Amino acid sequence: MEIEGEKMFEVDLGNLMAYDSHYTIPSQQSREELVKECLQKGTELVQAIADSLFTLPSTEDVDGPLVKLPPPTTKLPREKHMPRPRPPTKWEEFAKKKGIIKRKKDKVVFDEQSETWKRRHGYDHANDEEAIPIIEAKPTDDPDEDPFAKRRQDKKGRVDKQEKNRLQNLKNAAKFGDLPSHVQLAATSLPITGTQAVQKKVTKDELGNVAGIASTATASGGKFDKKLPGEKPPKHKGKFRKFPPVAPPAANGKVTGPSEREQTEKILNKILSKNNHDILNVNKAVTVHNVKKEKNRRSDKSKSSATDKKLKPQKKPFKKGGSAKKGNPKAQ
Amino acid sequence: MRPLDETETSVVFDKLFKFVGNNLKNLVENPSHEGPEPNPGRYCFRLNKNKIYYCSESLVKRATNIAKPNLISLGTCIGKYTHGGNFHLTVQALNLLAANAKHKVWLKPQSEMSFLYGNHVLKSALGRITENVGAGDGVVVFSMSDVPLGFGIAAKSTQDCRKLDPNGIVVLHQGDIGEYLRMEDEL
Repeated sequence: MEIEGEKMFEVDLGNLMAYDSHYTIPSQQSREELVKECLQKGTELVQAIADSLFTLPSTEDVDGPLVKLPPPTTKLPREKHMPRPRPPTKWEEFAKKKGIIKRKKDKVVFDEQSETWKRRHGYDHANDEEAIPIIEAKPTDDPDEDPFAKRRQDKKGRVDKQEKNRLQNLKNAAKFGDLPSHVQLAATSLPITGTQAVQKKVTKDELGNVAGIASTATASGGKFDKKLPGEKPPKHKGKFRKFPPVAPPAANGKVTGPSEREQTEKILNKILSKNNHDILNVNKAVTVHNVKKEKNRRSDKSKSSATDKKLKPQKKPFKKGGSAKKGNPKAQ
Repeated sequence: MRPLDETETSVVFDKLFKFVGNNLKNLVENPSHEGPEPNPGRYCFRLNKNKIYYCSESLVKRATNIAKPNLISLGTCIGKYTHGGNFHLTVQALNLLAANAKHKVWLKPQSEMSFLYGNHVLKSALGRITENVGAGDGVVVFSMSDVPLGFGIAAKSTQDCRKLDPNGIVVLHQGDIGEYLRMEDEL
């Protein structure tokens, strides 16, 4: 607070602010006069700030004298309202009804299993039922049931239930418009805002692909657009497969791409060349050799079974028509 | 109806090659003399609603007048192209295979019926077999009077057949003409 001449201005150097609390704007004045008066008053106030600024102890700097402002004395109103109290959760309501008071618990508890003190929660915590390697069977137990699987299942069920409760409480809080700030930022990704489906986080790749697709939405299909650094070309140009024309083209018709005939020829040649080692049929040679050997053995024994004769491979390739009988007289 | 793309063609040709061997060339380059066109076209493969047809080019040209959903069939259906990308021969392809077959098996008259009911070919049913059939080759099954009955996959090579016991399976059944009666609705 400072007294300037005959007038008294209140100067708050912390906010670089000065005002005259006794001044009243005279009514019944023309607009021009009013503007003039306001400017003049403003100049006086700024002058008051400047005067008091230069009375502060200053340090010299390259840019001029530097001063340290005192802390502000005027309290400005806050922009947002005070945070509303959070609506009580289901448990808090229940606890209040039953008169359950929250009590501080020790961070470490005694673990019966290892007979040491361990943390109550978290990694390697005390009395962890998961850490029990052997479960004693009771006569009432169901023999078909895996007790370890059941234990895991139960634990998972409890965790899931807690998560469900948490979300329900958050949903309630959201109704009052009072989500905790850390939840508020991620509220859209939680199933609490009415949209049941959890929104997937968009990965960098997906974003790039979408940007690529969007970039084609110009008259030229994105041909003349400047590409941003890191922007990918659209993944699919639209055409996935190209087929040759359905019907063979007319003699004078234009054909783009490989024709069907070329394509089949290519694949046919590939298949034939892959199997062209049939010229020397090793299997056949072995068969002939084996048959000869067997014949020799049989002639040695001078006895042969009937069934084997029937299956003797033919010398001549089978011919269509009446020669069927002639071709293999031994059959039947 | 559309021509086969590259993968489809190679899958179909691979399967046909198992049965007809190098005769596949004849099958693909088979000139057709159907239709009024002056220059004879060829036979070609077409895919319509996951079935593969073998038909002459002139027929294809005329079939383009019919919309895809209305087209029931054209030429000879030789098999199905499955969703998983495999090709299954159906019995309608039998004539095509029989004319160009590389490996053949002839059945005894008393066991023809068993095969036509959809059973595998046992050693005891075997009348004759072409030599150098390898296990896994496609074989066409004939009656003793040279009527094509069906086709299948050789379970044993010719040599192994000689030593097989009478109840052993020689040919695994894939299709037979009995299906025309048994599976009339599906064909």
